Amino acid sequence: MTTFPLDAQSSLQSGVFEDNARALLNILEDFTEEKSRLEDTQRAILNMLEDFSGDKAYFEETQRAILNILDDFTGEKHRLEESQRAMLNILEDFDVERTKADIANRDLRDAFDSLRRAKEAADAANSELEAFSYSVSHDLRAPLQSIDGFSLALLEDYENLLDDRGNDYLRRVRNATQRMAQLIDDLLKLSRLTRGELNLATVDLSATARALAAELRKSQPERQVSFHITDGLTATGDPNLLKVVLDNLLANAWKFTGKKEVAIIEFSAVEVNGQAAYFVRDNGAGFDMTFADKLFATFQRLHLDREFQGTGIGLSLVQRVIRRHGGEVWAEGRVGEGASFYFTLDSPPTRTEP
Amino acid sequence: MNRKTILLIDDNPDFVELARRAFGKADVPASLVVAEDGAEALDYLFATGTWADRGPEGNPVLVLLDLKLPRIGGLEVLRQLRADPRTRILPVVILTTSVEEQDVIRAYELGCNSYIRKPIDFIQFAEVVKTLGLYWLVLNQPPLTGGNQ
Repeated sequence: MTTFPLDAQSSLQSGVFEDNARALLNILEDFTEEKSRLEDTQRAILNMLEDFSGDKAYFEETQRAILNILDDFTGEKHRLEESQRAMLNILEDFDVERTKADIANRDLRDAFDSLRRAKEAADAANSELEAFSYSVSHDLRAPLQSIDGFSLALLEDYENLLDDRGNDYLRRVRNATQRMAQLIDDLLKLSRLTRGELNLATVDLSATARALAAELRKSQPERQVSFHITDGLTATGDPNLLKVVLDNLLANAWKFTGKKEVAIIEFSAVEVNGQAAYFVRDNGAGFDMTFADKLFATFQRLHLDREFQGTGIGLSLVQRVIRRHGGEVWAEGRVGEGASFYFTLDSPPTRTEP
Repeated sequence: MNRKTILLIDDNPDFVELARRAFGKADVPASLVVAEDGAEALDYLFATGTWADRGPEGNPVLVLLDLKLPRIGGLEVLRQLRADPRTRILPVVILTTSVEEQDVIRAYELGCNSYIRKPIDFIQFAEVVKTLGLYWLVLNQPPLTGGNQ
């Protein structure tokens, strides 16, 4: 053990105190520092806690918003489901509709098929008709030519070997031949008129009627016939076919006024239901209105052949032509007081078939 | 003087007889040769088959052609006639009962010179024959070569 002087001892003792106090002060100082650090930390924590509560509110809000969105989604989902259901219904309806359309389509196809078959049949019938009229034209005329030719040869070369009656018989044979030839020609004309296209143009009916009247005058110059033809009557139609109409009507008027001292034949037009109705009127034999509907039937005649000759085809021709032009034809008359034949024409430019 | 020849192609013996009569009455300065169908007509025109022996003096100056013929039809005869240099410009008159539009058009397309419908009335027919003879044998001026062979 080291021994120190007392003084030294006491001074040593006082130094130890001082050291301790300094240490304590240091510790205290450290504590203070520590304390302020802790306070800082605490403040920081409090701040953090504060921040956290702010965040929490924010989170809560976010959560609420998300819930709202989810709510909205649910609403949306319902709506979508409804839409989907509606769509499904529509699809189902479509399905039903499609089935209906399919059926309708099939029906249409069937109808189309049967139309096509009908058209083929009509075409076949038409070409048969053509072959028929060809053979009528060729094969029926040839024998007639022989009958007429050899009857005439007999009349010319053997006239004096036959008595009057024999000659008369041969003349009757020739007359019948001519009539039959006329009949064949008229029939051919009739069948030809149902074929072919209409060639539409503006037709001067007045001029056509005048030309036909001149021809009729030339055919029997001895007759006294006065024609009254209204000027400037025009129509849209097939010039050749309308000529056939006027030819038949005027020739009929000419024929059926044959027993009149003074025959009057008129061609003019009146307005019927806002439409021009052309007419050919005569003061000839006329007809009984009871039979008016029979006038236009093929081969139908209202007069005896020995009174007025004819094949019964002319007016049927007229009717066909007028109908092909979309018009109407009708007649008025009284026995012994003449007849009027009216016709209308209505043919839009594209029309080709009745 | 050699008589000119007219070739009549028709299968109807009645018509042939009436045609002979009409030509006789009309004093047409020609003799009539008759072929009863298209094949025989072509034989005559080209001097083949049964007509192989005929001389060139028999060359017709005019052909009267019916359309409806057995074996080879009139339009086919016309076509072959026009296709051969020997008969290309030989006058051909269609003399037939048909006036079906398509026949008339077809015949002209194939190069016929005239198309006449046989009239049923013999008096009219005699007129037609007279006019034909006068026109084609007297009035008409054929090319110098005569038009065939």
